[in-house]
Amino acid sequence: MDFLAEGFRRALALLISGDPEVLGIAFLTLKIAVVATTIACGIGLPLGYFLATRRFWGRRAALTAVNTALAFPTVVVGLLLYGLLSRRGPLGGLGWLYTWQAIVVGDVLLALPIAAALSAAAVQSVDPRVRRTAVTLGADRWLTAWTVAREARFALAAVITAAFGQVVAEIGAAMMLGGNIRGSTRTLTTAVALYTSQGDFGLALALGLLLIVIALAVNVTLQVLQGKGGG
Amino acid sequence: MVELRGVRHRYDGRLVLDLDHFAVSAGALLAVVGHNGAGKSTLLRLLALLEAPTEGQMLWENTPVPRRPPLALRRRVTLVEQRPILLRGSVLENLGFGLRVRGMSRAAATKEAEAVAEQFGLTPLLARRRHELSDGEVQRVAVARALAVRPDVLLLDEPTSSADRAASGALYRALAQAQASRPFAVCIASHQLEDAYRWADDIRALAEGRLSPVTPENLFRVELPPGSGATKHARVGAIDIAVTTDRTGPVVLAVPPTDIFVSREPLPSSARNVLTGRVTRIAAHRSSGGGGVAVTADVGVELVAVVTPEAARELALAPDMPVVFSFKASAVRVF
Repeated sequence: MDFLAEGFRRALALLISGDPEVLGIAFLTLKIAVVATTIACGIGLPLGYFLATRRFWGRRAALTAVNTALAFPTVVVGLLLYGLLSRRGPLGGLGWLYTWQAIVVGDVLLALPIAAALSAAAVQSVDPRVRRTAVTLGADRWLTAWTVAREARFALAAVITAAFGQVVAEIGAAMMLGGNIRGSTRTLTTAVALYTSQGDFGLALALGLLLIVIALAVNVTLQVLQGKGGG
Repeated sequence: MVELRGVRHRYDGRLVLDLDHFAVSAGALLAVVGHNGAGKSTLLRLLALLEAPTEGQMLWENTPVPRRPPLALRRRVTLVEQRPILLRGSVLENLGFGLRVRGMSRAAATKEAEAVAEQFGLTPLLARRRHELSDGEVQRVAVARALAVRPDVLLLDEPTSSADRAASGALYRALAQAQASRPFAVCIASHQLEDAYRWADDIRALAEGRLSPVTPENLFRVELPPGSGATKHARVGAIDIAVTTDRTGPVVLAVPPTDIFVSREPLPSSARNVLTGRVTRIAAHRSSGGGGVAVTADVGVELVAVVTPEAARELALAPDMPVVFSFKASAVRVF
């Protein structure tokens, strides 16, 4: 029990003192999470809307594929991307392996099915009369989508939260693609794993607490935004 | 203005609409009547360009409508659904929605929306949101919202289904007022014949997705019992109607109003259906063309008979008067 209490004390001291290494890791994690969530939702939300509202040949298969991708193991995604981005791989020329960009690519691939599948479900749950009403009142395709999205705003906010949660807590792809390089690709999750294995429980705990604070802050921000949206 | 030619529309392979020809002319006030499930709402969705017919052609001002109609064309027609929904935001925002999506400034859209609200008696509701409105109020807002965009064709699906009599009258008066100031076509789908007769210039009946060959009154969905005899008795409300047919099972019966004899006393005749009741309403029969009089009586169910003005005078027909309706079993159409 003592080592737990000691761990908490050290974690608080690191956080309060603003340890530059801790803050650097937190900043990088936030940067990767924001960029990856933005890209994943930027593609996934319109894709989800498309899957939910359009009738086309193969739609059911596409929905099944997206739903299946939800359960994709992160290490497998990491492994596949490692193969693509390694020097001998087809995308080796980019020189992205062991960079934060590689982690973003992995995170986007993991968050994209979440954004697409959950937003498709969110849009499908909107009363179909909303879409018909917007169309019959003369809204074009984009304004119709916007009107439907406004009705599904709570569910879509949850989609963004879920995508962010996936990205910020991801470790498998981050470890394989980023390499956990100090000051370069070390994220909160990979750092927690490393420092725990090295026996620096206090530092690991401090980083773990930061991870929870970031997740909490994002959730609270989204809830506040939803509250301002009104009914 | 809008025309359907040889249209067959299916949902999951099931034929729901089968129209050789259906047209809504410019400035028309048309009512489509029929039972629930007759195809009225589907017809309106096709006319509203929300769906393309599975087969057949749709024309707008004699020009074929492509399967994905251009936005400019879509904006000339608006549908108010049977159970309309208000979008997120206040009543004022809803009334201005169609104008805002057309690029009108917020100030101009608000001004227009306020004018329409006044026309429909909605001014006190402008700040309210959808959960603060009754079903009847939602329906009125939806009609006003549709009118605000000044469509060339306004389609209303059971526009007064949630309204009381006074609200229904107010809605139709506001519509008439709008039509007087700017000509546009109105097509109303209703199962309330009274509404149709009161407000429409032209009435079409739909039954099982097809235009009914008889006038739209006296349509009943019934279950014909099995039996070998040619004359069967169908239970309609509180009465039995004798009908000559080989058909059994679910059918629609139509009693042509012009085939009903109206008398004050039962007459000795070959008619198998002799029904006594009281007159509930007397009105000019607008779709008969020849200036007939529509006599509605409650004979266990509401039936409409059409007589000449002379016959109405001779019988001194008046509301609440006892009356006998007689018609032959072979006069009843089955489809």
